[in-house]
Amino acid sequence: MKKFILFTLSILVLISCNKEPEIDSSMLDSGLYFDQSIYQPEKYLVSASVPVPTPAQAVSPVIIAIHGYGATTFEWDEFRAWKGARTDFSISQVLLGGHGRDYQSFKNSTWRDWREPIIAEFEKLEKAGYTNISFAGSSTGSTLILKLLAEGYFDSHVKPKHIFLIDPIIIPANKTLTLVGVLGPIIGYTKVENTAGEEKYYYHYRPYETLQQLRNIINEVRIDLQKGITLPVGTTLKVYKSDKDDVADAASAVLIHKGIVSSTGNAPEIAMIPSNLHVFTRLNHRENIPAGSDIANQTKAFTEMANLLIK
Amino acid sequence: MMNYKPGILRALGLIIVLQLVCQFSFGQVHTFEAGLRFQKTVDLYYENGISGQYHLTNRITLGATYLSSRLGSAIGSNAIKQDNFLLSGAWMFRPKKPLKPFVRANLGYFIADYESDVFKSLTNTSAIASLDAGLAYTFKSPLRLNLSLGYNAITGNGAKGAGTLYPVFYQTSIFWNLAKRKLK
Repeated sequence: MKKFILFTLSILVLISCNKEPEIDSSMLDSGLYFDQSIYQPEKYLVSASVPVPTPAQAVSPVIIAIHGYGATTFEWDEFRAWKGARTDFSISQVLLGGHGRDYQSFKNSTWRDWREPIIAEFEKLEKAGYTNISFAGSSTGSTLILKLLAEGYFDSHVKPKHIFLIDPIIIPANKTLTLVGVLGPIIGYTKVENTAGEEKYYYHYRPYETLQQLRNIINEVRIDLQKGITLPVGTTLKVYKSDKDDVADAASAVLIHKGIVSSTGNAPEIAMIPSNLHVFTRLNHRENIPAGSDIANQTKAFTEMANLLIK
Repeated sequence: MMNYKPGILRALGLIIVLQLVCQFSFGQVHTFEAGLRFQKTVDLYYENGISGQYHLTNRITLGATYLSSRLGSAIGSNAIKQDNFLLSGAWMFRPKKPLKPFVRANLGYFIADYESDVFKSLTNTSAIASLDAGLAYTFKSPLRLNLSLGYNAITGNGAKGAGTLYPVFYQTSIFWNLAKRKLK
């Protein structure tokens, strides 16, 4: 019996060790494709492109766009492209901490690290005098915004004008995330089947440490929603949620609908999108060519967001 | 307005039948236990409810359980109200000892209340098929305590199924053996 226990322990130790993936040069994980916002922040961040706004610029709408877990600023590039030469609002594409760099940077990051650049950009804009600031989050980007709301961060800051959540994740579609605490140390990491185009913008490997962080922030926000979150005075919130999403379960929208009220006591607006894409607003480099309905969903969401921003 | 009388009469009838069964029973076989179950789903809700067990033999137990977040996490909170209706069959090991390991198979029905027409396109019901294993301890009094860890084979995966049906749960149940009380 003792031999059997020793043998089992040895096997467990062996499979728990040396869990580093084989990273090749085509992957973001390699460190060869740092996110462009790191080198050229003025192309991505309003705080860098217009650090000293005119009075007119200071009241013009700025939307901070935040990508999801494992992604990069690429996730909001199509919104910028859709905006084109319009000058009636500006976009700040924030790169989450630990993202858009290399595998080790990702592995070593916590969800608080992920969130830090959001706060940094917001406070730079606030300090510069911007007063018309909104947020758009996709997937985990949405969850991080909800955490700021739950913590009452905006109580002592400029109140956001509008908040848009695209496919927010509160309920993971893949329920094995709930087992990451047990299975994580054994498997070390998971991998995602990115397309060739996605490989440079999305981490291929997901270290279990970051999955544990994802689980932590999801659980914290779920409990925050259970207790109830009240939006700051004057802030609106709208959720766009794919109804068949293999990353963020559509029931996530139910929890947000039940868990958030405006300062006047109203539930947030929810738009259920007939789509099977996670982050339906990002269509580039998908495995399949986007259908007409996918393009229509994206255009409708961008148009609605822009119309609200400039209203 | 709903008429509750037929339901009450049926419930009373069931209790009388069960009491008769208990009166003519002996030991642990052909006895009925009723009790409370407290269940926590990993990363989701506390769902509590009522449970009954019928000891068909020393080793085989049949049961029925109703569990709901209405009696757990959804009390005074924004948690989704969801209900579980379960039928189960358990196999007891070491049946003559006070501490009995057991394995149990559960089948049932799950329904969640999303409370708004906005979510009418989402699946909010599901079959339940789960297994749990644990320990049951029978006290000298008619009290029995069950602890177990379980796994739901059917869960929502985003594309289909109910989103708030999660895989891993643990539970404790407290049962009162009605036959023992009558035999005193």
